[in-house]
Amino acid sequence: MAEIRAEITANVWQVVAEVGQMVAEGDEICILESMKMEIPVVTEVPGVLRELYVNEGDTVQEGDLIALIDES
Amino acid sequence: MTKPISHEGGDVHDWGPLVGDLASRKERALEMGGESLVERQHSLGKLTVRERLDLLLDPGTWVEYGLLADHMDAGLGDRFLAADGAVTGIGEIDGRPVAIAAYDFTVMAGSMGAVGENKISRMRAHAVRQRIPFVWLLDSAGARIQSTSGSTFAGAGALFREQVAMSGVVPMVAAMLGHCAAGTAYIPALADFVPMVKGTSSMALGGRHLVKAAVGEDVTEEEMGGSAVHTKISGVADLEVGDDKECLDVVRSYLSFFPSSNLDRPPVRESKDPIDRRVEELYALVPTAPRRAYDMRKVVHAIVDEGDVLWMKPEWAKNLLTGLARIGGHPVGIVANQPMVLGGALDVNAADKAARFVWLCDAFNIPLVFLHDVPGFIVGSAVEKQGIIRHGAKMLFAVSEATVPKISVVLRKSYGAGYFVMNGLAYEADYIVAWPTAEIAVMGPDGAVNIIHRKTLEAIEDDDERAAKRLELAEQIRANIDPYIAAGHAQLDDVIDPADTRAAIARGLRITADKEVDRPWRKHGVLPV
Repeated sequence: MAEIRAEITANVWQVVAEVGQMVAEGDEICILESMKMEIPVVTEVPGVLRELYVNEGDTVQEGDLIALIDES
Repeated sequence: MTKPISHEGGDVHDWGPLVGDLASRKERALEMGGESLVERQHSLGKLTVRERLDLLLDPGTWVEYGLLADHMDAGLGDRFLAADGAVTGIGEIDGRPVAIAAYDFTVMAGSMGAVGENKISRMRAHAVRQRIPFVWLLDSAGARIQSTSGSTFAGAGALFREQVAMSGVVPMVAAMLGHCAAGTAYIPALADFVPMVKGTSSMALGGRHLVKAAVGEDVTEEEMGGSAVHTKISGVADLEVGDDKECLDVVRSYLSFFPSSNLDRPPVRESKDPIDRRVEELYALVPTAPRRAYDMRKVVHAIVDEGDVLWMKPEWAKNLLTGLARIGGHPVGIVANQPMVLGGALDVNAADKAARFVWLCDAFNIPLVFLHDVPGFIVGSAVEKQGIIRHGAKMLFAVSEATVPKISVVLRKSYGAGYFVMNGLAYEADYIVAWPTAEIAVMGPDGAVNIIHRKTLEAIEDDDERAAKRLELAEQIRANIDPYIAAGHAQLDDVIDPADTRAAIARGLRITADKEVDRPWRKHGVLPV
């Protein structure tokens, strides 16, 4: 399982992927908002999105788990 | 050990005992601290000092100075300390000589003996005479108490001043390969490049036992001064690596960007990557939607030769990227904003990181390339208390002072002082170009709208309505921020297609290669710190 974590502290502005979705490398999982910028969180690996730990409106801290991608 | 007496049997050419004795002395010195301490070194996940030199240097180029040194410390009596715990000499890296001072942790924990330090001092002088880089391999507990007892310490400390005298004259690398304290923590402080091995290296002004005694804090070397602390929090170190071998590889890689001394240009490495390669990936990497962030590292990798970048301090002040790369075979120093972190805004650490990197490149004739996507400096009482004014001024000072060729590419926003410190036109930018998305302005629309339309917005009661109106008015302001206005005034040298970015930087570097700047003489400026 590949972990996708927040690289910065931000608000979850948009969740764009859903659990069960097939994702390719570089696909957006969600978009965070910080300092008036929309910051896309993408997956570095292809696979199936197994778990999503955030909802729109949540605040994430740097390092928080956002999603799990099943690469198998 | 006593020298054999020749001439016993009346043989006037009695070389055998002398040569044999010499060989055994050398063999003994090459055993370092002995088998069990060598095993201990390995069990700690570290290589021995001599194994490190084998990996660092080109084969067959090592010339050792002072192999047969020993301690001369009264407190240690008859003990034999191979090479007095410091292996020194000259070797080659990529065919170019470097001076080496490598501490041997198997000999009294690599502590600094008087003889060892004399050897290293000799190497420093040699490096300056020969104009060659200096590399320290640090794996040392620090000062050896038995070497400087009592107030003879009054004469100590020349090593740091000598290091300062070398700063900016020859490249200095301090590789952290063990737990180092005090003296051996100041050496990296004064060096140019400090890679640290994760888990087995650390640096701190006071070792843990001293810290416990002095301030009562119980802390491990790793917690106090390990690679996580110095590459992510304090910014003292430049890079964290996984093991000794990786560390030595990165030292070789780092030096490949630098000339042997400040009198030379950086070495050119021929590249098969075409100089006029169109970088069409940038269309997919960089959004035209101004609020949408992207990873600037990917932009840099796409532009430079073979996508190869040696990032400096990548885990600290991540809102500002600094790295060494090549374009058309020529080393360049990249300074770029990172929109993904703090929106690319500058804070105290980012300003320090940039200033330091600019000074480094300028010292050694490495041209600078600035990639702008910056909303300015962070404002507010928190950063004011941190001294953002003087830290920001430090970055401005460094960029202003630099006389190497300076190329600027404004990708998207570049507001206010952010535009200045990223080498705006007035900062002696030798070639400054902008993308069609460039927004150069004193302030961004989102900031300006709150000032220009403050009263209008305050009059709107409903929060959502006010937010919508704010966005609408901001977009109206944005329409007046246009790179073609700057280009119209010839305040930009050109507006370019993003795919032309690599070629644009390459031609900027080519036409500015022989830049010379004259300034009124002064001893040095009064630097903001």
